[in-house]
Amino acid sequence: MTITEQPTPDRPVDRLLSGAAERPGLARIAVPALAVLGALVIGGVLMGIEGVAPLSAYGEVVRGVFGRTRGLIDTAIIATPLVLIGLGITIAYRARVFTIGAEGQYIAGALAGTALATAGPLAGLPGPVLLIAGLVVAVLAGSGLAGLTAWLQSRFGASVVITSLLLNYVAAAALAWAVRVGIRDPGSFTPQSRDVGAAALPGTPLHLGFLVALVAVPVVAIVLRRTRFGLRVDVLGANPEVLAVTEVRPAITRMIVLLVAGGFAGLAGFVEVAGVTGRMTPAFATGYGFTAIIVALLGGLRPLGVLIAALVLAGITVGFDEAERAFVIPSATVGVIQALIVVFFVAGDALSRRER
Amino acid sequence: MDTLFTLATLAAAIRLAIPVAMAALGEVLTERSGVLNLGLEGTMLFGALAGYLGTVATGTPWLGLGSGLAAGAACGLVLALFMVVVRADQIVTGLAFTLFAVSATTYLFELNYTIGEPPPRIPSLDMIELVVIVLVALGAVWFLLARTSVGLVLSAAGDAPGAVDAMGYRVARVRSAATVAGCALGGLAGAMLVCGPLGLFVQNVTAGRGWVALALVVFARWRPGYAVAGALLFGLCDAAQLRLQGTATAIPYEIFLALPYLVTLVALMVRARRTGTPAALAVPFVRGRS
Amino acid sequence: MTEAAVLTGIRRRFGAGHPALDGVDLELATGEVHALLGENGAGKTTLMRILAGLDRPDDGEVVVAGEPVTAFTPRAQRARGVAMVQQHFTLVPTLTAGENLALAGPRGRLRPGARQLQRRVDELAGRFGLPVRADAPVAELSVGEQQRLEILRALDADARLLILDEPTAVLVDDEAQALLDVCRELAADGRAVVIITHRLGEVFAGCDRVTVLRRGAVVCAGEPVADHDRASLAALMVGTTNGAGAPARRTQPDGPVRLRVTGAALRRLQPLDLEVGAGEVLGVAGVDGNGQAELEALLAGSAAPERGTVTVDGAPLPVGRPRERIARRIAYVPSDRYRHALARPLSLADNLELGRGATWRPGKARREQAAAPALDAWDVRATGPGTPAAALSGGNAQKLVLARELAGNPLLVVAAQPTRGLDPEAARIITRRILDAAAAGAAVVWFGAELDELFAIADRLVVLAGGRATEPFTPPYDRHAVGIAMAGGHDS
Repeated sequence: MTITEQPTPDRPVDRLLSGAAERPGLARIAVPALAVLGALVIGGVLMGIEGVAPLSAYGEVVRGVFGRTRGLIDTAIIATPLVLIGLGITIAYRARVFTIGAEGQYIAGALAGTALATAGPLAGLPGPVLLIAGLVVAVLAGSGLAGLTAWLQSRFGASVVITSLLLNYVAAAALAWAVRVGIRDPGSFTPQSRDVGAAALPGTPLHLGFLVALVAVPVVAIVLRRTRFGLRVDVLGANPEVLAVTEVRPAITRMIVLLVAGGFAGLAGFVEVAGVTGRMTPAFATGYGFTAIIVALLGGLRPLGVLIAALVLAGITVGFDEAERAFVIPSATVGVIQALIVVFFVAGDALSRRER
Repeated sequence: MDTLFTLATLAAAIRLAIPVAMAALGEVLTERSGVLNLGLEGTMLFGALAGYLGTVATGTPWLGLGSGLAAGAACGLVLALFMVVVRADQIVTGLAFTLFAVSATTYLFELNYTIGEPPPRIPSLDMIELVVIVLVALGAVWFLLARTSVGLVLSAAGDAPGAVDAMGYRVARVRSAATVAGCALGGLAGAMLVCGPLGLFVQNVTAGRGWVALALVVFARWRPGYAVAGALLFGLCDAAQLRLQGTATAIPYEIFLALPYLVTLVALMVRARRTGTPAALAVPFVRGRS
Repeated sequence: MTEAAVLTGIRRRFGAGHPALDGVDLELATGEVHALLGENGAGKTTLMRILAGLDRPDDGEVVVAGEPVTAFTPRAQRARGVAMVQQHFTLVPTLTAGENLALAGPRGRLRPGARQLQRRVDELAGRFGLPVRADAPVAELSVGEQQRLEILRALDADARLLILDEPTAVLVDDEAQALLDVCRELAADGRAVVIITHRLGEVFAGCDRVTVLRRGAVVCAGEPVADHDRASLAALMVGTTNGAGAPARRTQPDGPVRLRVTGAALRRLQPLDLEVGAGEVLGVAGVDGNGQAELEALLAGSAAPERGTVTVDGAPLPVGRPRERIARRIAYVPSDRYRHALARPLSLADNLELGRGATWRPGKARREQAAAPALDAWDVRATGPGTPAAALSGGNAQKLVLARELAGNPLLVVAAQPTRGLDPEAARIITRRILDAAAAGAAVVWFGAELDELFAIADRLVVLAGGRATEPFTPPYDRHAVGIAMAGGHDS
């Protein structure tokens, strides 16, 4: 018998939760919102235990973000790489290609762009040219690394999760070498690259990269919703065999999806250098690649959701930074709240999907 | 070059290898049953914190190790609940757990100790005692997998859960048990890091060793003996790059940073089936849909 | 001879439509090899799964070795000595034969060493005459060996009632005969052996009594094989009268040859020649596992022939390039609709678009609007074009697939079991639409299981058996002859 029958619910919990599964739109908004709310509540409790009045503290957090221009700017700055990387991850995860190599691709892109702009034969070209060229090379570098993952999967059957994880370490090692030797600024005592100088993104402190991220959101949304490629991404995620019979070989779509995800991460890397740090240092990699995965998931794997989630997470970070000046809040609190958002989201999402 | 391969380097290699080896042993158990536990790093962190607090509370590092083991098992229960029972996506759950652990352990640690006042150093165990523990664990894991019926069921659950289910075993139970056991060892690994030569706990003390252990399991082709040997190799690379950092040579020490992972990647360039990847790794088992 | 098992009044129904089992009685005795005969969908496997504890009956009673069965689980039934070797093996491919035995029947906490395992396998193999290599991983064993291992596993657990589901389907002639001999010996040893089959040759070569099922009912209850001949059993399997209520016969088509298969072979399918003209409906009959899946894959362009060619209007059928296939107006209705035709989480409108949209898609609202007329015309009942395909019932899902595939006047329609699992109403609509497509000039290849249906719609009929196709039958169809051809298996 080759008819595939749908599994029937076998426990009361399943029947209860199938209601949630039947309202995916509601769940998609409710689950992240409740996760954030729940985490903030627990955070408030934790602060209360420490002797800090939670409402005043949260008031300070909000003021820190919205009450001063610098707060909004900083939020946008932090959100930029999260949005860019998150968009790439959104595309990949919708196709159920679970790459965790964004961190490495981010580094690779940043390195490639910085190398082009500060070292090597082309470094003398005018700033804007270098900027554009750097962005292009960054995208290529990120894609290249992701493409390696894709190749290993299609040729050798190696797991995307594992190979992308391993490549993160390779990229980190490359970063360590590059700032110490490869593209090192000869005039500095500590290992770091030269400053990109004229190849920086215009705008201080809020740089053009934020605009790029904002523009990317509707672009990705259109691609996913209005192009054949977007349909193929969804079909790949739903059922690769159907894709194979009706549209195209799944390996092709998988490769494209990984290249795109890598490209976005690489782009984010050089945008961060050209817009924020100005140069590469050993501490360049701050985990945006992993946080962006969380952002993509919280955003329900939709571009607008990614933007909102990135802004919320960035806002919480910035707001708490400010609030910690006014109140004695353990610096780990913001981390705990963000982590709780993640945990509650994963739990809520898994439970609401129980039936699918 | 001869500054590189001295006994001191070897000793450093062993010291660096110990927690990674232990964590990898645990992960071997978990992955052989079909569960990919990306929460290993987080489990190690909780184990490290528990080890530290346990030693401070009781005064002996051995009880600290015990606390680490218990904390790891508790993490395993939570992870098993999500990954096996609820059948949430294993990758997402594991990542979320690790991210949570980094913040949570820092927070819990700072609850107990105020900044400015240094947290007490704890009495620590000798390296040789830790090595013995690792070897005992190696023996136990190897014996379980290679020589017991339970181990047979466990491996089969990772390769062909449908067949195991058809033979009347409960795949969910097997996988949950493997996850708890693997995380217990992971917690122990974290405790060993803290209660060993390091002797204290700091924020994010494991510094990615859990991720290294995950890579190590792949490198070791899911075999416990190779995992420990591989840990030593990884440790040697680690010690070598530390060594090289201190000396002035033309060899970029970063090669040793990347080497273990490059080698693992190359090792994966064999048809996945021959590398021993559990066929059903990271695929939740649903009866009727194989 | 005592009673090994008695089943009384077994009823089982899956969803709407014809029940799989409609009040079946069966009596199995020890010391005999019992054949359970019938076409696709007759209910043989369902009945035996119930006996083996893999399924439970909606109604009826099962008694094994004198004790009524209350718990229908594989474990419970295995404890009673009932074991079933199914068509899809449940062995662990990475373990050796010995390890698989140890897994199924662990003796103690410790795993026996390789040598001990080898001894266990060899001992069993020798005792029952079922040779299996003990040291190689199961993945490296031949299909015959794997099957023997499955049987050994059952016997190791001291099965007294052994059920084999289409065991010779995967074996070559010699192996098949050897297997039947082993079954005889097992029976002589005091066990009861049941062989589910559709091959008359086996029944006569190796069985003592035979029960024939047709459409969920018993048409021949445990009669001695010696009382029958091929003709009478074939007649019982497929029935003697042609069913009523099928769509009316159409006029003879006389279009040019559109589909030409020349010497095409793939896996189990032996080199095959076929020609189907425009406007013609070619029926392909036969029990599953005789090459249908391969032929389906060849005609759909999912696999390339290992030998020979498949051409449509002179040009080769595109392989692995679905968009090209669709551009050439070749429609494909897969036999497994949820696996190959529909993406469950996607909406109805999206599913209609698969393979057919342009690079730029209109907005969601417009897409759903555009989809509505097609859904209406095909009477696909759902809350709206935006509902996920998973919410559709079987009949509506199939209508959706056809709505997609038959749009745009196809030149060739490959329909694999298009009415399987559908209620009569939906089946009638689907049949009508496919015939309409033929009337509009399409060449249609229809893989079917129900002879009544095939007789009603096919202009010509070939039967696949043992990987080979018979010469095409033409109407008026001789049910008798077709039945014998279907039950031919691998003997002449």
